[in-house]
Amino acid sequence: MTLMSLRPVRDLAVLLLGTLTLLFFLLRLTGDPALVLAGPDASDQQVAVIRAEYGLDRSLPVQYLSYIGNLLRLDFGRSLADGSPALRKVLIAYPTSLLLAAMAMAVTLLISVPTGAWLGARRHGAARIAVRWLLFVLQGVPGFVTALLLVQIFAIELVWLPALGSSGLSSLILPTISVASFLAPKLTRLIEANVAAAMGSPYVRTARAIGASDREILWRHALPNALLGATALVGTQFAFLMTGLVIIESIFAWPGIGWLLVQSTTSVDFPVVQAITLTVVVTVFAVNTFVDLMQRRVDPRLRHREPLAPGVAA
Amino acid sequence: MTTVVGLPVNTLAERYLARWELVSGGILLAVIAALLLLGPALSGHDPGYVDLQNRLTAPNALDHLLGTDQLGRDLLARLLHGLRWSLTAALGATLLAFATGTVLGLIAARRQSLLGTAIRQVTAFAQSFPVFVLAICLVAIVGNSLVTVVLVLGLVTWPVFCRVVQAEATSLYAREYVMAAEMLQMGQPRLYFRHVLPGLLPSLSVLLAFHFADMLIAESALSFLGIGAPLGAATWGNMLQESRAYLISAPWLLLVPATAIVTLVITANLLGDGLRRHLE
Repeated sequence: MTLMSLRPVRDLAVLLLGTLTLLFFLLRLTGDPALVLAGPDASDQQVAVIRAEYGLDRSLPVQYLSYIGNLLRLDFGRSLADGSPALRKVLIAYPTSLLLAAMAMAVTLLISVPTGAWLGARRHGAARIAVRWLLFVLQGVPGFVTALLLVQIFAIELVWLPALGSSGLSSLILPTISVASFLAPKLTRLIEANVAAAMGSPYVRTARAIGASDREILWRHALPNALLGATALVGTQFAFLMTGLVIIESIFAWPGIGWLLVQSTTSVDFPVVQAITLTVVVTVFAVNTFVDLMQRRVDPRLRHREPLAPGVAA
Repeated sequence: MTTVVGLPVNTLAERYLARWELVSGGILLAVIAALLLLGPALSGHDPGYVDLQNRLTAPNALDHLLGTDQLGRDLLARLLHGLRWSLTAALGATLLAFATGTVLGLIAARRQSLLGTAIRQVTAFAQSFPVFVLAICLVAIVGNSLVTVVLVLGLVTWPVFCRVVQAEATSLYAREYVMAAEMLQMGQPRLYFRHVLPGLLPSLSVLLAFHFADMLIAESALSFLGIGAPLGAATWGNMLQESRAYLISAPWLLLVPATAIVTLVITANLLGDGLRRHLE
C-alpha cells in the first residue's frame, strides 16, 4: 500500500473530527447541554439523570475525550425520542433515502445528458433559445416550491398520486421529480458548457477534417470527453442532492435520513442529529473518493494530478 | 437550421443577451425596491392583525388584494413583511460570506503560511460538504432568529467566495505591478484595496448575485422547515408551511409566496447571468 491510497482515509478522519468537534463545542457554548438533551419539558430530576449519564458534570477536556472515545466505538448514545440506539435509527432510514437519491439521479441524468449535449452542439435556433429559457426559469424555482406545486396539482387537484408517505411505486414519483427538478437544470448547463468546449477542441476539428458526421462527432468524440469533465463536479452535485433530500423528504414525509434530520432537530434529539451528520459526511466523502478514483482509472491525464481535484465554480 | 460545429460562440448574440438580462433584472430589482420602500403603506393592513371574520378570503380588489390567510391576516401585508425579512437575511448572509471568504481567500493566496494551507484544506472539503445539513444542525442548536440565520448561513458558505478569491488573487499577486508595489513597501491593506480588489471585482460581483439567490432559497427553506424564522412570523417560508393545511380550500396561500420567492430568485439569477456574460 502506498501513501497515496491512505490519503482519503486521513482526509476523512480530519473532516469527521472537525465536524463533530464543532457540534460538540457549539452544543456546550449555547447553554447547558443537559437541558437541551433532556428537552424543554424535562423535570429537574430528569436533567440530573441526563447530566450523570452523559458525564456532563465532569470537566470540559474530559468530556471531549470521552465524546471522541464514544464516537470511535460508533456509540452515539440513544435517541431521546424512543431510547433506541441513535446510529441504528439512522441506518434504518438510510436505504429509504438511498432509493430516492438513486431514482432522482437516474431521472436527472436521463434529462440532462441528452438535453445538455443537444444544447452544447447547437449554436442557433428558436428551439435552443426556448429550451435555455425554460432551464433558466426552472433553475429559479427552489426544489421545495416545486414539490409543493406538484402536490397541489397531482395529489390535491387531480388526485392521481399520493401526497405523503412511502407506500409503493406511485409514492416515489412526486419526490423523485421534485429532487430531479432542481438537479437537472444545473447539470444540463454544466454538460452544455463542457460539450460546447469539447466541440471547439482540436480533436473535434481533426475528426471533422477526416470526414466524421455531426452525429458521430457529438456522440463518439465530444460527449464522452465532456461527461468525463462533468463528473469532476459530482461531489458538489451530491452535496446539493443531500440538501435537497432533507427538504423534499420532509415535504413528502418520506422516511429517510433527511426527514429524520428535520424531525430530530425540531425535537432536539441530539444523538440522532450527530449520527446523521456523520452518516451524511461519510456518504458524500465516499462518493467523492470513488468518483475521483474512477476518473483516474478512465482518464490517464489525471493520474499524476493532486487528489481531490480543484473544481470549477458551479 | 443545421448544426454548426466548431465555430466560436456568437459574441454579438451573447452581448445582446447580456444586455437584455441586465435590463430585465434591473427593472425587476427596481420594482422590488419600490415594494420594499412602500411596504406597509401599500396594503393598508397590519401583517399580524388577526381578523377571524374574514378567514381565507379569496384575492379581491376591494380590501384584500391577495386575499387573507387562515387567521384572516392580510396576505399582501404579510408578503411585504416577508420580503423585508428575506432580503435582510439573504443579503446579510451573502455579505458575511463575502467578507469572510474574501479575507480568508487572500490569506490563502499567500502560499507559504501555515494558516493559508489550513484555509485551502477547509475550502477544498467544504466544496463537497453538505453545508445545509450543517446549517440545520447549527440553527437548531443556537435557536431561531434573524441573527442566527444570517450568522449560520454566512459562516457556513464562505468557502464559495474563498475558493474564487484565492485562485484569482494568487495570479494577481504574481503580476508585475503588484510585485512592484510590494517592493516599494506598500502596506498589505493598501496593496489589497488599491491593486488586488479591483482585479477581483468582476468575478466577485457575479458570485455575489448567484450567492444571494442561493441564500434566499436556503433562508426560505430553513424557515419553511420551521428552523429559521420564529414560528408565526410573517416570512415566506412560514407562509408556505402554513399554506399546506389549506391546499384545497385556499390555493392562493401557496401560490402567493411561491411566486414571490421564484421572482426574487430569478431576478438575482438574471443579474448574475447578465453580469457574467457582460464581463466575458
